[in-house]
Amino acid sequence: MREVFCVGIGITSFTRLEYPLAEIAAYPGMMALKDSGLSKVDQLYVANMGAGRTNHQTGLASAVLDQLSLAPAWAETIENGPASGASAIKTGFMAIASGMCDTVMVIGAERMREVNDLEATECVATLTHPQAEWIYGITLPSMAGMFARMYMDKYGVTPRHLGMVAVKNHDNAMDNFYAHLHERITLEGIIDSPEAATNNPIVADPLRFYDCCPVSDGAACVILASGDAAKKTGKPRIRLAGVGQATDTLAVHDRKDPTDLLSTRGAAAQAFKMAGLKPSQIDVAELHDAFTILEIANSEEAGFFKKGEGHIALEKGETRIGGSLPINPSGGLKAKGHPVGATGVGQAHEIVLQLRGEAEKRQVKGAKRGFTCNFGGFGNNVVCLAFTKEK
Amino acid sequence: MEFNIYGYKCKKCGQVHYPFRTTCKKCGHFIFEDKAEKYELVPLSKKGKLLTWTRLRSLPGDFEVPELLFGIVQLDDGNRLTGQLDIAAPKTGMKVAGVVRVVRREGYNEHKGIVFESA
Repeated sequence: MREVFCVGIGITSFTRLEYPLAEIAAYPGMMALKDSGLSKVDQLYVANMGAGRTNHQTGLASAVLDQLSLAPAWAETIENGPASGASAIKTGFMAIASGMCDTVMVIGAERMREVNDLEATECVATLTHPQAEWIYGITLPSMAGMFARMYMDKYGVTPRHLGMVAVKNHDNAMDNFYAHLHERITLEGIIDSPEAATNNPIVADPLRFYDCCPVSDGAACVILASGDAAKKTGKPRIRLAGVGQATDTLAVHDRKDPTDLLSTRGAAAQAFKMAGLKPSQIDVAELHDAFTILEIANSEEAGFFKKGEGHIALEKGETRIGGSLPINPSGGLKAKGHPVGATGVGQAHEIVLQLRGEAEKRQVKGAKRGFTCNFGGFGNNVVCLAFTKEK
Repeated sequence: MEFNIYGYKCKKCGQVHYPFRTTCKKCGHFIFEDKAEKYELVPLSKKGKLLTWTRLRSLPGDFEVPELLFGIVQLDDGNRLTGQLDIAAPKTGMKVAGVVRVVRREGYNEHKGIVFESA
């Protein structure tokens, strides 16, 4: 298997973008080409979840490829729900590792604000089991609400812990120009004060407004290259060293213990094994915090903390920038935003930036090894990636 | 008329599945291979214990109500179901009993599902 490097990156603001989807998607592609110095690639993968439904556009990869005048390169659209982004990177990894391609452009793009937030949530709710879950009106926030309650009952996580995740990630996003939410929040404002119930209303009890990610438009790009092709670009050698993926039952109630995220556990273990790393060796991680509870649960399942102790590490400040393992320095899905198909690529973009030492005010000092966890469905399909800085 | 939610019992090992799956999750038996017999339909218990619940205030467009409650219920027969709750103040661990009725109207389509009440 050949080694795979990240040679170019680009991103748009994660926010409401009033441009056609293919243009939103092409923009970070253009930035990444400029960053890498390449003018063409062998293959384009575009990760997207809802264009067919929310933007009346299918075959998105062909449209984006044409925007970038990259014909006759190969192009495919990859859909794996909210994990589409990391799935597209995994597919790009396979194309290069196998020797089929030397350079692959991976773009994740989503334009969810073309419809209103309820319709966007409804589109994402089509991920749930059609007969056993969807018919009841269940959405992803409801799934996360039921999951959070079980987690609280079992491990002693409190609404305050969830609030701490939100405050930390909003703080981190203040230093990220491309983040959706530039809004500093406090525990007083969202949990403790009498006004908190108004500031932070219930969405899916026990989850409140500030426990949920925003609905964002946005796109991100990472260009992957083989060792030889990467050398020619002269860019810092950031290697995609480990890739892992694992799946679980579609219906959440079908799982032996619904508080276990076996898909994250399996995907992370594979990524670490391929990279030859242990969780304790990771300097910075981007974990899928579409809901605050998921940052805590994923940090445990990925192996960074013992099961049931993620909230304790959070309390101690270990997951802040400057702590033993900074999680979501970009602001995470919570504050950077969650344009579903773009999210996994956005996470990889942040890790490449951190390992290059180009993350400016939110830079994790001396970061050499990074990790991402991109969570699809409600934990039925998770892709994890491990990155290392090489000499 | 009383409706039920039916589980799909594997003819080979007896594992009950809900929702339906084409391959038994326990023994790997291909349920569609038994063309004559398929699987055995067994009515699931409607009584059980509430494992977790949520109150959703941001609803899909098909529902013209201010909020909906959902829960996962551990049934007395060992199976589990997700359903709506018709309980004002649910508590984890409480005993519940379900009724199968229309839970969603989508245009001209009606979807039947289970709604749990306190038992």
